[in-house]
Amino acid sequence: MDKAITRIVIVGGGTAGWLAAARIAAATAGSVTVTLIESPDVPTLGVGEGTWPTIRRTLERIGITETELLLGCDGSFKQGTRFDGWATGASDDRYYHPFVPPIDADPADLPRDIPYALATCPQPLVCAEDLAPRQRGMPDYAGALNYAYHLDATKLAALLTRHATTRLGVRHVRDHVTGVERGEHGGITAVHVRGSEIVAGDLFLDCTGHAALLIGKTLGVETVDASSVLFNDRALAVQLPVPPNSPIASQTVATAHSAGWIWDIGLPMRRGIGCVYASAFLSDDEAEGVLAEYCRRISVDSPAPRRLTFRSAYRSRPWAANCLAIGQSAGFMEPLEASAIVMIELSLDALLDDFPAVSSLMPIQARRFNALATYRWERIVDFLKLHYILSHRDEPYWRAHRDPASQPDRLAEMLALWRYRSPSAFDLPMQDELFPAASYRYILRGMGFPAPLPSPVPRPLRPDLSSQLRQIDQRGRALAASLPTNRAYLDALRAEQAPISERRA
Amino acid sequence: MPRHEALTPDDHRDLRIQERRDTALGDARMACIAVPAEFRALQAEYPILFRLNETRDRFSALAMFGFENGENLYLADGGWDARYRPLAIDIQPFLIGGRPDEDGPKQVHIDVESPRIATGDEGVRIFDKHGRPTPYLDRVIEQIGELDHGFREASDFFAALQRHELLEPFTLEVTLEDRSDNRLVGYHIINEARLASLSGTALAELQAAGHLEPIYMAMASLSQFSGLIARRNRRAARG
Repeated sequence: MDKAITRIVIVGGGTAGWLAAARIAAATAGSVTVTLIESPDVPTLGVGEGTWPTIRRTLERIGITETELLLGCDGSFKQGTRFDGWATGASDDRYYHPFVPPIDADPADLPRDIPYALATCPQPLVCAEDLAPRQRGMPDYAGALNYAYHLDATKLAALLTRHATTRLGVRHVRDHVTGVERGEHGGITAVHVRGSEIVAGDLFLDCTGHAALLIGKTLGVETVDASSVLFNDRALAVQLPVPPNSPIASQTVATAHSAGWIWDIGLPMRRGIGCVYASAFLSDDEAEGVLAEYCRRISVDSPAPRRLTFRSAYRSRPWAANCLAIGQSAGFMEPLEASAIVMIELSLDALLDDFPAVSSLMPIQARRFNALATYRWERIVDFLKLHYILSHRDEPYWRAHRDPASQPDRLAEMLALWRYRSPSAFDLPMQDELFPAASYRYILRGMGFPAPLPSPVPRPLRPDLSSQLRQIDQRGRALAASLPTNRAYLDALRAEQAPISERRA
Repeated sequence: MPRHEALTPDDHRDLRIQERRDTALGDARMACIAVPAEFRALQAEYPILFRLNETRDRFSALAMFGFENGENLYLADGGWDARYRPLAIDIQPFLIGGRPDEDGPKQVHIDVESPRIATGDEGVRIFDKHGRPTPYLDRVIEQIGELDHGFREASDFFAALQRHELLEPFTLEVTLEDRSDNRLVGYHIINEARLASLSGTALAELQAAGHLEPIYMAMASLSQFSGLIARRNRRAARG
């Protein structure tokens, strides 16, 4: 029987659940009902605080203003990532992976004395001076440079909750799921909650995080383990308050250590810092020492860290029958390059771009969705692994990453090709690759991968290259002159939005 | 009160300029001085008129923005609604240092009391943290050079106009849609009949000196009055 899809039931709050609720409610504008069941017993885990530039379009579609986001989530601007100590571990070993793509140039033709990202993109200069990517007079979500946000994920979930329930008509059931009712074809027909309500639906979204209540516990969909490629399985996280007027970094800083790396994310009132490591190579105590040493450079007293354990893995079929897993229930990768929130957004885009109007379409759409999701997870694994295998660091952890047995075949193939040419759309053909060829170029050049060797088919000559390089320099300096610092921008925004009484005080 | 200082990286390292266009920043003005070298660009946006100075011995050119003091019909929503802004507007709060009749390279001065100088941490920097001029200041310096050069050429241009009696008094009276009367008095424009009657020798002389183009550009610019009137009517209609 062909049945119209009109009742969407989301199990689980958090970033994934509320982003899903808000996106679906805004996109369907009342033609389906959206119910979100959130257990008061389960604390939400603050999923990564870094986003991708896609978040601006997502928020605009949901109808949240940029000011609401920045003030409501203690947000700051993110223009990319800076990698310190990844290639050699030397004190001057650092490179940028900015959000603005580089100009298309053969690395062999570029000046040797300027880092690749700085020569081919105006953004690193702006990042180096802690500047914002936009001026306050610009329309919401528009920037002089491509950007995303660093934010307090717990506050994002709260903002989305308010917005979805008060402005988008999402029904919020605050109760614990006690049972799942199955239908004839293996699908889900309803979930039971403790308050004895039965919530029936046509499409169920599993946003229950690691618990994977529907996709895993109920439907038994397997996960694909990536931990033999990506070794990190632990993190220690702290938050350090920062003094007023202190500079706010324009990018996530990822600093390599002997068996992993440290994230450093600047928000207006605090810095989020975390030590990611592989327990097979570093004990918890040693990791705590690594984190403490990093924190001592910033603040005298560092609070006791929160301990997190994880495994890089993804669901083989995130869409099974009438259940779609979104967020950690669909997969989790170590936090390098902050893929968590962007994967939620891309899953919702894919669902809404080809929304199942009736139940008979679901098997077709599920098959397509699952193929796309697997492709994306595999590319994330490739791209994250790339950061490790190009390193020249000598510790056992880094040597183990360079062991060919730990490297995905497709990545090894691409690296073989890239000895003779730069990464291109030929390697990464999807229309919306999470990490396009530009990202690979930044990592290869930043890690000191050799410039491509001569090929029988010569690369096209670029007679205008020197003028393009001058333009990059000129544009970088012009932007550096006209953009405010992150601190100045965010303080001015806060002052402008403060209630009159607060301003007088 | 304006206070002019010679611009130096040491004294003005951290200054920022507000690029916004706004009444509060000194942009509410009905005209600004213009030089013949920019007539070609100006005539696509503004009427160009001529005016005698107070001692009635020298002419200057003006790009017109409105019909009465303080009225700038090109200001809208924090911007300036035209593809070209006159140099004399665009360089503010900077100005040409030294006396206008001096030869040689000019200093760049700045009016440190200008409302255009940002008081907060937002606005465009003129020097980077190393004290090097930013691309913004580089552009202003270039414009100041053009303007200085334009002023020097202007005296020849006006001398030629006077020699050939090519200027005639001009008064514009317009009744707007709201029935208000607007008058522009005390200006001059090119005397087209006189221009048409010039001898070939006189035209060749004007052509050789590079004056013929700005003369025709100034004539063509008068068609922008219809645009200016339309702007005024739109503004009146909005209340």
